[in-house]
Amino acid sequence: MKPIFVRGISQQFRLTLAIFLSVVLLIANDRLDPIRQSISSVLSPLQYLANVPGLLLDWSADSIATRNMLAQQNKELLRQQLMMSERLQRFEHLRQENVRLRALLGSPVHMDARKVVAEVMEVASDPFRHYVVLNHGARTGVFVGQSVVDAQGVVGQVVEVSELTSRVLLVTDPTHGIPVRITRNDVRAMAQGTGDIDEIELRHVAKSTDIVVGDLLVTSGLGQRFPEGYPVARVMKISRDAGQSYSVISAQPLAALDRIRYVLLIWPDDNLDDLPSSIHSEISTIDNPSVEPETQDEGSQ
Amino acid sequence: MSAHIANGRFVVLVTIFIGMMFQIMPLPKIVEAWRPDWLLMVMIYWAMALPHRYSILTAWILGVLLDVLLGATLGIRSLAFSIVIYVIVMQSQRLRNFTRWQQSILVAIFICLYHFIIYWVEFVVNGVAFDWAMFLPAISSIFMWWWVFWVLRNIRRSYKVR
Repeated sequence: MKPIFVRGISQQFRLTLAIFLSVVLLIANDRLDPIRQSISSVLSPLQYLANVPGLLLDWSADSIATRNMLAQQNKELLRQQLMMSERLQRFEHLRQENVRLRALLGSPVHMDARKVVAEVMEVASDPFRHYVVLNHGARTGVFVGQSVVDAQGVVGQVVEVSELTSRVLLVTDPTHGIPVRITRNDVRAMAQGTGDIDEIELRHVAKSTDIVVGDLLVTSGLGQRFPEGYPVARVMKISRDAGQSYSVISAQPLAALDRIRYVLLIWPDDNLDDLPSSIHSEISTIDNPSVEPETQDEGSQ
Repeated sequence: MSAHIANGRFVVLVTIFIGMMFQIMPLPKIVEAWRPDWLLMVMIYWAMALPHRYSILTAWILGVLLDVLLGATLGIRSLAFSIVIYVIVMQSQRLRNFTRWQQSILVAIFICLYHFIIYWVEFVVNGVAFDWAMFLPAISSIFMWWWVFWVLRNIRRSYKVR
């Protein structure tokens, strides 16, 4: 029964072959994206299946919630909604004023982007990586480089898309950088992930730069990746060590990265035309109920 | 006879599939760092019990699939899997005769080796920082090995996978 080639040199040969193939993969990694994408499409049912226990847990937590809890939650949500709609009224006024001012200045109007709510299916189980997997993929029109935000701030960007899922690199991943601007005085900087889930770092900031603890960092829109103006982080610590040529500034991301469950995928406006038409309707149906007021088609005058 | 083998293969594939599912299942952040390496343990068991059927190349394929699932650089886990399974295959006769405690401690050492290889390649490719937390799965795997071994041996015996 046992094949003869089990013994002797064979295992060494197999190991050599396996190591050789692995090294080939490591070297050719950047060119293998199509293969990776198709394998990941084939494996996406596995990810959906692995997500089931968590969903069941959520579902059971929902169904054993008492009437009292629900009523309380409802009250809280109503209160929040009232506050929000009051802010929205002011916001709408400001927006129109802004459009008029921009028209006067002759600079292009920034329009609101389309959004889709996505659910986090999987969180990185790799201590060296910070990413999450979302339950929307190429079929919804997700593309590589798309920005992802949650209710508080920027979460990260899509780095890999398969048919039904997509992978989002979080802003705290050590390989992630995001161009930011300080709201107080428009100073620009690059915020780099550190590998800690609650910290990002501003690199190469001159010591004389005007930054204080508590400054709000928003996306500057300079990298052409993230739309302008989304909050990213708040400055927590500034150390101006005389021995270093730059000051080291650490900031805390505003998005709750360690417990995200639902996020928003954002489509920039110029990319909307590339989407298949079936997606349009889906986006608007998902989007319509409550998430954001639809402010499309204000036109570029 | 060939139908018998095909049947056995199906059983093994199912166990591997379940191992993979456990490996990527979302967990709360606190437990996350302690997640045992299910897939590697399943592969270690099959390489130990049936080294003539499931050895390095199977491990290599699983490594590639896991790399894709975890979004890591391709080739990292395939390399680590291949090397660990090579050691297991070479020592499979001896490993089978150890007591369960000795086995589980050895498995923990192999898992440390596995994580160290991953760290080392990640360091060369992506320049990551060293973090002792990467060895936590080895500790939880010591206890999980008992369970994995017991379940898989029962499966192997009742389905007569040879």
